[in-house]
Amino acid sequence: MNNAPPDQELLESFKNPATKEQAFTGIIKKYQEKLYWHVRRLVIDHEDANDVLQNMFIKVWKGLENFREDSQLYTWLYRIATNESLTFIAQQKKRNSVSLSDDENGLSGKLKSDSHFDANKLEWKLQLGIQSLPEKQRIVFNLRYYDEMPYEKMSRVLETSEGALKASYHHAAKKIENYILNH
Amino acid sequence: MEPLNEILEELKEISPFLAKLPKVNVFDVPENYFEILPEAIALHTLLMNDEDNNGSKFQKINAFQNVPVEYFNSLSDSILSKIKDINVGNSDKESAETFPLLASLPKKNVFSVPENYFENLSGEIISKLDTKAKSAKVISMFAGWRKYAAAAIVAGIIAISSLFIFNGTTNDTNDAVAFAANVSKQFKTPEQLEAGLAALGDEEIIKYLEKHGSILDNELLIKDVDVEELPAVTDYLLDENTLNKYLDKIDANASVKN
Repeated sequence: MNNAPPDQELLESFKNPATKEQAFTGIIKKYQEKLYWHVRRLVIDHEDANDVLQNMFIKVWKGLENFREDSQLYTWLYRIATNESLTFIAQQKKRNSVSLSDDENGLSGKLKSDSHFDANKLEWKLQLGIQSLPEKQRIVFNLRYYDEMPYEKMSRVLETSEGALKASYHHAAKKIENYILNH
Repeated sequence: MEPLNEILEELKEISPFLAKLPKVNVFDVPENYFEILPEAIALHTLLMNDEDNNGSKFQKINAFQNVPVEYFNSLSDSILSKIKDINVGNSDKESAETFPLLASLPKKNVFSVPENYFENLSGEIISKLDTKAKSAKVISMFAGWRKYAAAAIVAGIIAISSLFIFNGTTNDTNDAVAFAANVSKQFKTPEQLEAGLAALGDEEIIKYLEKHGSILDNELLIKDVDVEELPAVTDYLLDENTLNKYLDKIDANASVKN
């Protein structure tokens, strides 16, 4: 990503039909890892993450021509990835509402069904703690804890005030701590 | 990017316990992930040369969470491939679902065309159309009309010659008869007649009609021609020499009169 072209350059190239595809590939390559892990932490399963990511980039392809360049590509992509992930989770929740009675959204169940899952290990407890959070707090915690995203950028991604985000992160971290200590 | 220390300090304030936890990646991706992605076959080799994601950044994240290198290298191609599938339409989508291997193969054309063929094709066709419009016979629209008109002329020539033969007193009569006899001799069989009709040009027909239109008046023909003497249509079908015989008969009658 360090050697990736600047967003402005990629967006300019995208406007040119001759370099459109190349520019789009450049955008994917530049952001795919960050977005993949953001999505993966939200939907847990790799296949789901892959589906969400691909659908998300397809929407980016369709919407990039109308992208307002006064906003940052980085935050725009994160917003789409987040929305796509939440839409996917909502669909899953609706589909599995009868079968999954023990887990609120089935994501904890997905974690537990992982072949490497070990309930005694802290890293898995942390993940279960994250899944125990309300949706918004889960996203805020992930973006801050893993993506190390500044509140200012997060504010643009989630269209929420920085103050509210700070409060969300605070509550989330406290809840996770309690979850780990009590499980 | 906000300094890591700042974020860490913030977490220490909220939860020193969490701040001490190592950020271990619990997630994994299947080995040989690319093998289950048919779209990955349709890779753009040029894009594969881009090693943006094989550098230190990837190593950093990979140390945090384990992902096969190939996954990120082909992700962009995989997404582009999906976009193309969508653009192509439902039939391709169906084929991608039914025949993933075939659908994943690049649609490469094995046939070649001459250089600049498509660039020049339209101009070539247009120039041919121009030439044709100037010089060619208009066949399609008037083919039927032309045939019937030619047939009418032949019939007219025969009838007129008969007319002149039966009433023949003018100086033109001999010329007309000679012309008719000459024409009739050329069409002794249906094949010859057909060939003769086909050989007649539009201009010849039009000129003939302009010149002889007045004497091809139906009333005049019907009044002066003994219709009963003319062979019936079925006679032509039964005996291909009917026309020939009829013409011989006319010749004979003319000879008697003269």
